[in-house]
Amino acid sequence: MGVKIDPLKCTACMACELACGYHRDDAFALLSSCIVVYRTRDKKDYFGVILKQEEDLVIARPEGLEVKRIGAVEEGGGGDASAKPMLLREACDLCSDREAGPLCRQICPVEAIYLD
Amino acid sequence: MEYLASDRIAIIDLASGEVNEEPYPDGLCQEKIGGAGVNLALYQQHQDGEPIVLGAGLFTGSMVPGSDLGVVTAKSPLTGTVCHAPLTQYAGMELKYSGFDYIVIKGAAASPKYLWVHDGIADLEDAADLWGQDVWAACEAVRANMGDELIQVLGAGPAAEQGSDLAALMINYWPSGDRFGLGRALAAKNLKLIALRGLGLLEIAEPEDFAAQCLELLGAVKGGAWAGKKGLADLAAGLGQQALADWLAPLVHRHRASFNTPFAANTFLFLEADPSQLSEPPAPEPGVLVGDLAALAGLQGLGLSAAEAGQVLGQCAHLGLDPAGVAAAAAAAGVKDAAGLMAGLATIKGPVPGLSGPLAPAAPAGALFGLAQSADPAWRARRQALAYLFGLDPLFMLMAPELSEEKLLELVGLGIGLEIGPEALDAAVAGIG
Repeated sequence: MGVKIDPLKCTACMACELACGYHRDDAFALLSSCIVVYRTRDKKDYFGVILKQEEDLVIARPEGLEVKRIGAVEEGGGGDASAKPMLLREACDLCSDREAGPLCRQICPVEAIYLD
Repeated sequence: MEYLASDRIAIIDLASGEVNEEPYPDGLCQEKIGGAGVNLALYQQHQDGEPIVLGAGLFTGSMVPGSDLGVVTAKSPLTGTVCHAPLTQYAGMELKYSGFDYIVIKGAAASPKYLWVHDGIADLEDAADLWGQDVWAACEAVRANMGDELIQVLGAGPAAEQGSDLAALMINYWPSGDRFGLGRALAAKNLKLIALRGLGLLEIAEPEDFAAQCLELLGAVKGGAWAGKKGLADLAAGLGQQALADWLAPLVHRHRASFNTPFAANTFLFLEADPSQLSEPPAPEPGVLVGDLAALAGLQGLGLSAAEAGQVLGQCAHLGLDPAGVAAAAAAAGVKDAAGLMAGLATIKGPVPGLSGPLAPAAPAGALFGLAQSADPAWRARRQALAYLFGLDPLFMLMAPELSEEKLLELVGLGIGLEIGPEALDAAVAGIG
């Protein structure tokens, strides 16, 4: 079972990123989140979500999902160049300490995140 | 302020180039709440310097649904009175995490400058190369110079430099919703733009209880009248403006929300690409992001096609013009065609009608998605004031009555560990009204 993302439902609100940061820090911070909205191509309206799992990066682009093995991804690749590189962040733990499951799924206002 | 804050206020004197810092006292928050309330207090404290004050709301950047709003407070060149303009999209959030809760910019620089605020540092930088550049070019130049594409840029365009009444404060490439000509106020200080970036951390007084309450509130909000709807076409339809929704629909690409705001109020129109295209379009500037229903309604009212309106919106974005103001001024001048409007954009004059108070209108009047109370002017005014104090999206506040005053005050205690009662809230609302 893992976190899945429907990029066409996503509205880039970053609630998932905020929730993941809270899960890790018990505070509001965006630097430690394992789920990140990529939003640098603002001018082209091209945005999606990147999720770091134990062994791979899930890249939810508008045109479809792509899964890359972490060893096959360049250091720092797959995310905004200016953000903390994805490979330096902790992997998704499915919020294993929460009975309700992943906080990102619970907080997403448009049901773009689900478990499968 | 220990919680949901950085406990720092930056005071920037453009004339001397000095940057000073002050702590953010608990008492100021307890009396003025935050956002526009604290901004106004700081404005009054520094009014000899005709300041522009940037501030985050009490809940900006937090888990409270709709927590996108920052506020800019300054004297409007249009009305001559102090006003509060919204910073939505990601700008309010970036300000909150920048390491400063409030930024006071006073005086005027002797030569063009920009302000670079990041991680608790505020620096004035030379902007000679940026002066004269359009909004998009200046935004990209600053991001490239700093090597960070996530910098949020609050900028003034060429329209502001040339003293246009309709020169709005812009966020990155797009209008901010400022109706008060604050782009011109920025340029009058020889300040081209303010670049914000923050990777800070906001501590919470009672983290578990605060988050639990936010999630409970989100659950209630998700069942609201807006549920299942996105973007400006749905918003227009929800206001009974079906013809406007139908006019817009063929150009709609996707919808984007502001930070942690459930309703996606921004719609991207593709003008140089197929709106159904999902992959990254090859055109460097395929369209425009629109977050202003009044602008669209105004341009439609001139008799323009949606595509022509999109072209006008794009040009307004480059020049740094308020598109709703442009549409109103064009209507007043009898302009009826897109070519005439585009040709006159550089010299178009205001002022913008309908500015009856100190807050920029978030939406045309009417019952949003059938919510009867949202058609009540007194209720709307109260909800807008709450939005500007707490840092919540002004439009979402009109469609989510579940964000009640009682809930917000309960969250204050859990979030910042200080008690603020209904009487203090009433006084803060009256203070910015």
